[in-house]
Amino acid sequence: MSDPFTGQLSALLDGELDDLARARLETHLGECLDCTRTLADLRAIVAAAPHYQGREPARDLWQDIERRLETEVVPITSSRPAVPPSSNRPFTWRHLIAASLLMAAVGGGAVWVALGRGTPEAPVAAATPEVAAPELDNAAFADQQFDAAVRDLELLLAQGRDRLDTATVRTIEQSLARIDDAILEARNAIQRDPANAYLSRQIAANMRRKLNLLRVATQAIAART
Amino acid sequence: MTQSDLDRDDVLLAAGGDHDAFERLYRRHVARVASLARWLLDPSDADDAVQEVFIRVWQKLHTFAGQSAFGTWLHRVAVNLMVRRRQTQGRSRRREISDEIPVMAAAGISERPDLRVAIERAVDTLPAGAREVFVLHDMEGYKHHEIAELLAVDPGTSRSQLHRARLLLRQQLAT
Repeated sequence: MSDPFTGQLSALLDGELDDLARARLETHLGECLDCTRTLADLRAIVAAAPHYQGREPARDLWQDIERRLETEVVPITSSRPAVPPSSNRPFTWRHLIAASLLMAAVGGGAVWVALGRGTPEAPVAAATPEVAAPELDNAAFADQQFDAAVRDLELLLAQGRDRLDTATVRTIEQSLARIDDAILEARNAIQRDPANAYLSRQIAANMRRKLNLLRVATQAIAART
Repeated sequence: MTQSDLDRDDVLLAAGGDHDAFERLYRRHVARVASLARWLLDPSDADDAVQEVFIRVWQKLHTFAGQSAFGTWLHRVAVNLMVRRRQTQGRSRRREISDEIPVMAAAGISERPDLRVAIERAVDTLPAGAREVFVLHDMEGYKHHEIAELLAVDPGTSRSQLHRARLLLRQQLAT
């Protein structure tokens, strides 16, 4: 077997030889049984490699992962904070929602544009700097912006649901219904116990989940457009 | 129902906060992610990296647009995270020059019925530089210029390491 040719077998398999080099190598392969066998073996390796099954970790990692799912928060970056850094007020669920809705509303706008259903003015307007001004009532802002972002995404979902298969639509609707139930239940409970931090976090988390789910669903529709 | 259908439904549920759906995604994909971690990182770091991959995926689920298969997207997230992890840990990159590998005349490995499993085992035995390039190129579908960027090596080095890895695997599989 000739070394110069052996060194080119991988390049041949990967389609990286120019016409002249490929023609020379193919001529050589017609005369060299060893190179032909080597090429067949390399081709078999390349064909089989992407289909590896993998090997499970020595111990089950799921419990550790699940424990960290809700405790590790994605940092929210924004050019302006939802509350002034100098504020000594406690960080409530309403602030959390307000900050996350800024990001969610921008995402909604992106989907709006991707679907070609209109200009992004309406969703993006939710992220204009004045809405983050500290003098605004954060509770009113959070509720209004959440409702607006949800309405935008629900409209997109309603308009595009025909592009998803029935099973997917059913999955989305069941999941949304469960989240709505959880939000309603927590809102009712917090009216009886307004200082309950756990309930506040539950409401914020479920509102964020609803927005995330709607965004994923509308992105799936956009991908099929 | 195909794995892709199952993944699609579970991604939607998990994006809505459903831990059970995310656990199903984890169970379906953890073996491949764990192998990637073993091949690209020090074995002692692999479990922690796998956890980090799935937590990152959970946090980024809402950005998954469904234009590729979930598994493909997951693996891209995993590779990026593992490569960054190597960089932050200052893992030294091996830049071995391809030694001459004696080429066996007639290995005939293409006829092995257990070829896929045998390759997977044999990858463990490759030298680190060749293994990383083989895993990224032949197993994960990255191009040489992408590998060069990820591993901070020359594309020519990536090509020679790949050829070396394939010949070493052939040798290993024939024994």
